Amino acid sequence: MLRLSDGVRAKLEELAHGVEEGLLPAWIFNDPDLFELEKERIFSRSWVYLAHESEIPKPGDYVLRYILNNPYIVVRGEDGQVRAFLDMCRHRGMRVCRAEAGNASHFRCPFHGWTYRNDGALVGVPAEREAFAGDLRKEEWGLVPLPRLEAFDGLLFGNLDPGAPSLEEWLGEIRWYLELITKRSPAGLEVLGPPQRWVVPTDWKLALETFISDSYHTLMTHRSLIELGIAPKDAKYAMYGEQIHVPGKGHGAMVVGAPPGAQLPPFWGYPEEMMERARASYPTKEQWEVAKETRILLITLFPNFSIHNPIRRPDHKYPRPVPMLTFRVWHPLGPGRIEIFSWGLVEKDAPEWFKEKARHSYLRFFGSSGTFEQDDTEIWSHVAQNAASTQGGRVRLYYRMGLHLAPDPNWPGPGVAYGLNFTDANLRNFHRRYLEMLLA
Amino acid sequence: MDPTREILEVLYKEAELLDEGRYREWLDLLDEEVVYRVPVRQTRERPPEGGLSGVAEGMHHLDEDRTSLEMRVARLETGFAWAEDPPSRLRHFVTNVRVGEVVRTERGEEVAVRSNLLLFRSRWDRPDYTLLSAERRDVWRRREGGWRLAQRIVILDSATLPTHNLSFFL
Repeated sequence: MLRLSDGVRAKLEELAHGVEEGLLPAWIFNDPDLFELEKERIFSRSWVYLAHESEIPKPGDYVLRYILNNPYIVVRGEDGQVRAFLDMCRHRGMRVCRAEAGNASHFRCPFHGWTYRNDGALVGVPAEREAFAGDLRKEEWGLVPLPRLEAFDGLLFGNLDPGAPSLEEWLGEIRWYLELITKRSPAGLEVLGPPQRWVVPTDWKLALETFISDSYHTLMTHRSLIELGIAPKDAKYAMYGEQIHVPGKGHGAMVVGAPPGAQLPPFWGYPEEMMERARASYPTKEQWEVAKETRILLITLFPNFSIHNPIRRPDHKYPRPVPMLTFRVWHPLGPGRIEIFSWGLVEKDAPEWFKEKARHSYLRFFGSSGTFEQDDTEIWSHVAQNAASTQGGRVRLYYRMGLHLAPDPNWPGPGVAYGLNFTDANLRNFHRRYLEMLLA
Repeated sequence: MDPTREILEVLYKEAELLDEGRYREWLDLLDEEVVYRVPVRQTRERPPEGGLSGVAEGMHHLDEDRTSLEMRVARLETGFAWAEDPPSRLRHFVTNVRVGEVVRTERGEEVAVRSNLLLFRSRWDRPDYTLLSAERRDVWRRREGGWRLAQRIVILDSATLPTHNLSFFL
């Protein structure tokens, strides 16, 4: 365990007060001490998103992914099973896989040639008899497996803590909302291609806030797209709908419907055939009833994985909605510095024309060049700069929006729901969980 | 005039428009059916047949047509495009221009042009900057009044991008 200095202890106390009052100190968005604690107490014990199964459909397919600064090879073995191994040779610690993706039956270390099968077993050591005189028990020197690897409907998560609760328990009631995405069709989802990766000088929590709770920023951050008619003119449109959080877990979702009087098609505007498939495929009638009325859905899993699925058009002139779906990891690189991994996805059995247009709906609005997201990253960068300044870091930020609201008793889904999205309720829940893990 | 000379002039003119934020005028250089793509690049094993490695199929940073490029330009004109307002300071360094043979197609005269690009970007009042290096594989098409960009594939020399967004054109 990291020894806490008096200074760090004082910071945690300040943070605890802030969480209680809904007034968080700005330094949490760019602080080296806090980042060290997050490494140990958040990211070394949480379920972190790695990959979607459709990225590695065939035996031998692999992708390289990270938990903190640890590279993991996520690979499908010849037996079809997905495994994950630390990308580090057991001999002298060299990377055995330096590509981001590919297909391999074996990984051969370029340093001394130790060779591992894609199920992790060490199967070849050059000059084994001559050099090691029969002392080397190869079965004990396989690649180090990721302590925990579990999947939810094709979403692969890893955990560095062997004693962590199961992924199912970790997710809890947020599964109901995840299924709105993953169980739209029995065929499931597929990635549209590899992730875009880029670096942003900001804090992972700040990026996450936008996707777990902040529909409020749309009216100003994304004002340019309101002007272009891409986002509705009604400044309060993102307010209509439910904000839901899972107490004790930190997860949250936003289910945005249509503003009163808006002429929007049901079910995100997905084609009729996809809607009918979903009606039959969703596990419960309640999920279908909610999905039918949904136009924008955001889900964020504690700590750093977000999903965004809005109704959209591929451009401002295209006559019909083609919704987009993106998964993203806010990968922490250091204090005030993240790498975004952003994937576009689509239902495997969606019509081909739809897949192509959904890709455009994603690329033109989200991701590295997205006309929404490019303004988000600009703004997140400046907040993180201020957070590291001597005066700005001390400023307490206002997290009390929606404190007056009472939970919605009529909401059919699990979790604590509020019937209005202009609230910081999900943030207060996230930061309570965050603090609890920092202190534990 | 010699087509190589004409193409050099249009590439330099284009760089000038992009560096000066004259995006409406830049749109005039684009063919109606322009295809503009920046594929994702990954670190992959060396392809046995040689050539560029890791140019992803099916995923891009940008995959644009005339309408979507117009949308991006119109966005910059709204006064609310925070990513570029205040604007980045950009400099497009265009080098190693290789002009192919002018060929006659059913759409008119076309020429394939490859060029290397080093893009300098600085923002805010800070002294740091980002550089993006790339090769551009273009097709230019002759229209009344001059050459128009019909296709551009930008092959980035980065896997993970060293910049917080792609809020400009390459």
